[in-house]
Amino acid sequence: MRKKLIFSSITCLLLISLAFGACTTEEEVNTIKIGVIGPMTYVQGEHHWYGATMARDEINDAGGITVDGKDYTIELIKTDSNEMLSPTDAAAAMERLITVDKADFVIGGFRTEAVFAMQDVAMDYETIFLGCGAATEELCTRVADDYDTYKYWFRITPFCNVNLVNNSLMTLGTAGAIMQAGLGLEGSLKVAILAEQAEWADAMVAAYEAYVPVMLGMEVVGTWRPSATATDVTAELTAIEDSGAHLILTIISGPVGIPYARQLGELEIPAASVGINVEAQKDGFWDATEGYGNYETTLNTYAEGVALTEKTNAFFEAFVDEYGETPTYTAGTYDAIYTLVEAIERADTLDTDALVTELEKTDRKGAGARLVFMGTDTDTPHDVTYGPGYATGIATQWQDGEMKAVWPWDWDGLTYEGTVMWQIPDRVINKYTQ
Amino acid sequence: MIRRLIKDFQGDVLAIPGRLIALVFLLILLLIPPITREPYILRTLIFTNIFVIFAVSWDLLSGYTGQINFGHALFFGIAAYTSALLNTHLGWQPWLTIPIGALAGVVAGVVVCLPALRLRGPYLSLVTLAFPLILLGVIFAFSDFTGGELGISGLDRISNSRTVDYYISLLVMVVSVLIMWKLTDARSSLVRTGVIFHAIREDEIAARASGINTVRYKLLAFIVAGFFAGIAGALNAHFMRIAGPSNLDLFLSFQAVIWTVFGGIASIYGPVAGVYILYPVMEFLRIFPEHRILIFAGIVVLILLFMPEGVAVWIRDKLERECPRCKLSNIAFRRTCRACSTSLY
Repeated sequence: MRKKLIFSSITCLLLISLAFGACTTEEEVNTIKIGVIGPMTYVQGEHHWYGATMARDEINDAGGITVDGKDYTIELIKTDSNEMLSPTDAAAAMERLITVDKADFVIGGFRTEAVFAMQDVAMDYETIFLGCGAATEELCTRVADDYDTYKYWFRITPFCNVNLVNNSLMTLGTAGAIMQAGLGLEGSLKVAILAEQAEWADAMVAAYEAYVPVMLGMEVVGTWRPSATATDVTAELTAIEDSGAHLILTIISGPVGIPYARQLGELEIPAASVGINVEAQKDGFWDATEGYGNYETTLNTYAEGVALTEKTNAFFEAFVDEYGETPTYTAGTYDAIYTLVEAIERADTLDTDALVTELEKTDRKGAGARLVFMGTDTDTPHDVTYGPGYATGIATQWQDGEMKAVWPWDWDGLTYEGTVMWQIPDRVINKYTQ
Repeated sequence: MIRRLIKDFQGDVLAIPGRLIALVFLLILLLIPPITREPYILRTLIFTNIFVIFAVSWDLLSGYTGQINFGHALFFGIAAYTSALLNTHLGWQPWLTIPIGALAGVVAGVVVCLPALRLRGPYLSLVTLAFPLILLGVIFAFSDFTGGELGISGLDRISNSRTVDYYISLLVMVVSVLIMWKLTDARSSLVRTGVIFHAIREDEIAARASGINTVRYKLLAFIVAGFFAGIAGALNAHFMRIAGPSNLDLFLSFQAVIWTVFGGIASIYGPVAGVYILYPVMEFLRIFPEHRILIFAGIVVLILLFMPEGVAVWIRDKLERECPRCKLSNIAFRRTCRACSTSLY
C-alpha cells in the first residue's frame, strides 16, 4: 500500500510537471521572449536574473516596445544552466530555451567552457546571444574567424580578461606613486605577487612578472601561490615581510581572500595590498575580516556613489533597494536588455540579421559603461571597447568600513565622480615614518 | 537455418520478459526520429546514449570485476582531449579521432590498472580518484596546447544532421552494450570472461587458486572499460564540439556510479535503465529550476529505499523467475520451467 502511494505521488508529480511544461511552451502574442541563462543557484546567476528583471519591469512599465507599428512587452524566461557543474547541461539548457521555450534572444552565461558550448548552440539557431559573464577573448575571436556563423554573439560585460592585467597594473602604479609621494620613498618600490593556485591566475602572474618592472619601474621580489581555499597564509605573509615588499599585488578569487586580508591586518605586515580579491568586492567583507581588511584594494565593477555614466547611480540604488545587495558585473543583463531593445527600436524589426547590423552600431551609455562594440575589422569583433570614455572598470578600497572607489585616478584625465584618493595603510605609514 | 534462428529468437528473446522489453524499447528508439524531429529531444537522447556507454563501462569494471573506480571520468576525459587535439591540430575527421580517442582510453586503462594489481577495496578507489586530478594538472600545465581551463573548442561535428547524429549514437550505444553484455555474461558459451570477472569480484584469491590469471583478466577489464568509456568521451567531445576540464570532473565520475546503482549494479541493463530514466528526468525537471537537484535526489533516494538492488533488477525480479535446476529465466506466471519442467515454486 505504502509503495503504491509513493509511486502514485511520483506519477502525479510528473504529470503536474508535464502540465506546467505545456503551459510554459505556449506561444504568446506580442511579447518578445528573452532567455536569461546562467548558474541560477549561484550569485552570478542570481544577478543575471536581477539585472534582467529590473530592465524588463522598467521597459514594460514605460509601455513596452513598438516594432513596425505593433506594441510588444518583454517576457523573460529564467533558465538555470547548471554550468558550474556541467557544460553539457548548459548546452542542453540553451537548446531547450531556444527550441522549446522559443526564446527570441538570449542573455547571460558565466563559465567560459560552458559559454563556448552555449555559444555554438545559439549560433546554430542564429539566435542573438548577448554574453554577460565570460571574459575570455576567444569568444570574440571566433566572430573574427567565422563571422557568418558567430555574428550573433556580442559581449556586454565584462571587458576582455587581458584588460584585467592592465587595470591591475595601473592601480598598482597609482598606489605606488601615492606611497612614494606620501612616505618620501626613493628608488624603485618592491612588489610581492600573491596569486592563488589556479590556472586562470598563471597567465596573469607571468604578465605581472614581465610588465611590473618594465612598465612601472618596480622590482618584483617574489611570487607566492597559496591555495585558493587556504585558511592560513601566515607563512606567505611572513616571507613577504622578510622580502621587504612595499606592495602586494594580489590575484585571488577564492575564499583565501578573507584570511589573507585579515592576517595582513592582524600581523601588521608593512605592505599595501592591491590587485584582484573577489572576496573584497562583497558587502560582507568588512565583517568577515573583523575590520582587519581595512585598506584592501581590489578591481571592481560598481561602488556606491560612483557614476561610471549618468545612469550608474540610479541603477545602483534601485538594485540595492530591491535586492539588498551590491550588483556584480553579471547584473550587466540590465544593460544587455536595454541595448537589445534600443537596437530593435532603431531597426524597427525583429529580424535577426538586421538586428546584428543595428547592434554593431551601438553607442549607448549604460549603467556600467558607455557601450560600443569592437568593429568587424578588429581581432575581437563584438567585444566591449575598453579604455577611457568606454568600459574601464574601477578599483575600490575598503576605508574604515566603506568600499570607496579609488581608481581610475586621472587615467588620461579620467576620474569618475565620487572617486576618492587611495589611502596608504596605517601599518605601512608606521613602518616608513619611524 | 532460418527456422533455427527464429526458434532461438523465440526462446532467447521473446520468452524472457526482460529481453522482450529491451527489444521493444530499442524499436521505440529507432522510431523516434520519424515521430519527432524536435532537436531538444534528440539532443537529450543523444547524450543519454553516450552516457549509457559510459555507465555500462563503469558497471563492467566496478560492478562485475569489483574494481571500484571513482575516477572513471579519466577514460572519458582522456579520449575527449585526444579526439579534440587530433581534430583541431591535425585536422583529422571524427570517424578517425573517435576510435583513436578510445585507444587513448585503453592506454589510460592500462596505466590505472598498474596500481589496481597491488591495491584492493577502498585503497584502489582512492587511487583511481586521483588519476583525473593528475591529468587535469597536466592539462593546466600545458595550457598552450590543451587550452587550459577554456578547453579545446570548435571541434568538427560528426554530421550536420541531428537525426544522423542520433542514429550514430544509438548504433554505437547498442553495439557497445551488446559487446559488454556478452563479455560479462557468465553463461556465455562464446567467452568465459563473464564468469571469471564474477569470480575475481567474489574472491580473487580463490580465483587465482583455481588457476585463473587474475592479473590478465583485471587488465582486460580495465582495457575494455577504458575503451568504451573512451568512445563515450570522444563522441561527447564531437557532439558538444568542445573538450574541457569538465570532462574530467569528479561529478562525472560519480554520475556513472549513481546511474548504475540506480538501475542495478552488475547487470549491464541496470545502467542502461538508470541513464535512460535519470538523464531525461533531469532534463524534464528543468521546469522546476529552483528545486531540480532536490527533486532528483529525492527520486533517487526513494527508489533506492524501496528497490535497493536497482530499478531494473527490481522489475526483472517481478517479471522473471529463474529455474532452480537449469537456471533458465522464465516469465513470472509460469509454474514450471519452460525447458526442464521443474516446478518454479
